[in-house]
Amino acid sequence: MSKTSSTLHERQSSNGTADSGSTGEDIILECRDLSVAFEMDRGTSRVLHNVDIDIRRGEIIGIVGESGSGKSMFASALLNAVVDPGKTSGTVTYHPSDDESDPVDVLGLDKGPLRTLRWEDISMVFQGAMSSFNPTMDFREHFVETLDAHDYDVVEGIERAEELLADLYLDPDRVLDSYPHELSGGMKQRALIALALVLEPEVLVMDEPTAALDLLMQRSIISLLSDLRDKYDLTMVFITHDLPLVTKLADRIGVLYAFEFAEVGNTAEMVENPRHPYTRALLNATPNLDAPLSEMRPIEGSAPDPVNVPAGCPYHERCPMATADCEDVKPPMELVTDTHEVACHHWRDVDDEVPLSVGVER
Amino acid sequence: MNGYFVKRTLQAVFTTFVVVSLSFGLVRLMPGNPADQLRGQLIRNNPSLSQQEINRRVANYINVDLSAPLHEQYIDYVLGILQGDLGQSISQNAPVTEVLGEALPWTVFAFSIAILLMFVVGISLGSIMAYWEGSRFDVGSTGLGIVLNSTPNYVTGLLFLYVFGFILGWFPTSGHISSEVVPIVNPLKPVATFQFVADAVYHASLLIGAVVITGFGGVALAMRGNSIQVLGEDYLRVARLRGLSDTRIALRYVARNAILPMYTGLLLAFGGVIGGSAILEQVFTYPGLGYYIVAAVEARDYPLMMGGFILITLAVVVGAFIADLTYGLVDPRVSTGGDSA
Repeated sequence: MSKTSSTLHERQSSNGTADSGSTGEDIILECRDLSVAFEMDRGTSRVLHNVDIDIRRGEIIGIVGESGSGKSMFASALLNAVVDPGKTSGTVTYHPSDDESDPVDVLGLDKGPLRTLRWEDISMVFQGAMSSFNPTMDFREHFVETLDAHDYDVVEGIERAEELLADLYLDPDRVLDSYPHELSGGMKQRALIALALVLEPEVLVMDEPTAALDLLMQRSIISLLSDLRDKYDLTMVFITHDLPLVTKLADRIGVLYAFEFAEVGNTAEMVENPRHPYTRALLNATPNLDAPLSEMRPIEGSAPDPVNVPAGCPYHERCPMATADCEDVKPPMELVTDTHEVACHHWRDVDDEVPLSVGVER
Repeated sequence: MNGYFVKRTLQAVFTTFVVVSLSFGLVRLMPGNPADQLRGQLIRNNPSLSQQEINRRVANYINVDLSAPLHEQYIDYVLGILQGDLGQSISQNAPVTEVLGEALPWTVFAFSIAILLMFVVGISLGSIMAYWEGSRFDVGSTGLGIVLNSTPNYVTGLLFLYVFGFILGWFPTSGHISSEVVPIVNPLKPVATFQFVADAVYHASLLIGAVVITGFGGVALAMRGNSIQVLGEDYLRVARLRGLSDTRIALRYVARNAILPMYTGLLLAFGGVIGGSAILEQVFTYPGLGYYIVAAVEARDYPLMMGGFILITLAVVVGAFIADLTYGLVDPRVSTGGDSA
């Protein structure tokens, strides 16, 4: 494999230019009014609320948010894999890369085609890599059964798996003949990524793939992921609560707050010029050894209850800039630049009210 | 591997030794002794016998020297066991090994079928209950399972005997085979062999039924709990997303991982049920190991009692031993020291 351990700045800028050429045109996943709701005794819990977003072919989009902001639901909804009794509404349209195929309405698929779409077109890596494998089966069988279930050629598929494992700096023979308990957490995580890619999907959705790993392993997986994207022309949706981490990988970042997007934009703009007070607060809350303690600020208050999201701007209860307007009127998504949009009434004034500390490495 | 094997073997031997010693002591703490028992029997049967005649006959019958000091009896006994000699049964008037050797296969036969059936029924029912968790079927089966599981098997046995044996007359009420059937197991004579096995199953069926009816509930509840736990695991969700077939998920994922923890229980159940066979075999007059143990206790037949206890102990120890040694084969997470140690 090409050891493209290029520095972040090089990679980001090169992708940035590539993206700006095709902005808004080559969409692979199109979400409209995407909502997920759970009926509960005390009311309907809306854990994803009318989300509109386009995911472009070949990009890595980072989805950031705190616990309970709807990140995982967004990930599951992309594969129409929300667990029962959750109800997914709206549309997710998948545009396959070959021009002959028609766009696929992911939420409207029957069981059979959905089974085919998942893993063959849109694949997923779960938060719990430690527990994503059957403890009584070796890795080879995991790969073989996956290939079998989708009628792929097993010999070819295993060769591909070996290559993927090697790309991820694992010893293919050793891993394939191991049982899950015999590998470390980082190895299992990488094996899971290989398993997710063995059917050559177009999109890889990753739900907190690095959450259970130590910092070094997180960084190395991040760099492996961007190599993989380049090699296999993948589109990646990277879901995390770790904003600084995702800035090192993603081309674009979307910040979820209270089950909807607060701000979406190119990574550079999101880091250097965030417009939403919540994005700023997230950046300011990032622990960093270099930043003085006095500049690190936790965000006061707590995330809204999904049964009872406040009217108006969902963030107004915690926002230092909140006005009467924010309590009543929900801010629409407004364009800051062509590649940056924000849902805030006061995004123009955010510089004065919520100054950005130098917390995050750029 | 060898270290583990040696350690387990030594543990098993040590356990057996401790139980042998304990039973030797405990049996002798029981009130009465074989000589008194025999004397009483002789007086009851032949009231006209003189005292001297009785004493002479008792001394003749009992060739165990009960007057020797206890530790000498103990050492003699242990040495005897090591040579495969369990002594002479007083009440059956035959070597203990012969009496038990004849009885044991019947007990193993009947209870193996019973335990296997119990596990098959329990595991199937438990899986269905787990898949339909919270349904009326699940709630009903749970209640039924608890009730049946809390009923002692000899109560069910008596009930079965009364209803199916005496009132309806569907099943024989005693013995292991009909008198006209020749006990034969010979692949060259399939018809006769089949007749013999079928007749044996027929005679054991009430006993088997009693064990299964009172045992499957516990197995089903354990299986249900394990399955529900596995159904909630991350790897199950991943397996579904990977598009695996429902059959594969049910067998290779849920069943396999839910049954594994019950494997040791299954092997221990063999030992345990052979030990618990005493009352049931008595109820059904089924001349197996338990039947003779009860007979031995009634007759204060020390050698036969001890022999029975040792066999039961061995059954439990061997069950646990096999479970220890083979668990690594069925569950890759447990290494019996084979590959990596």
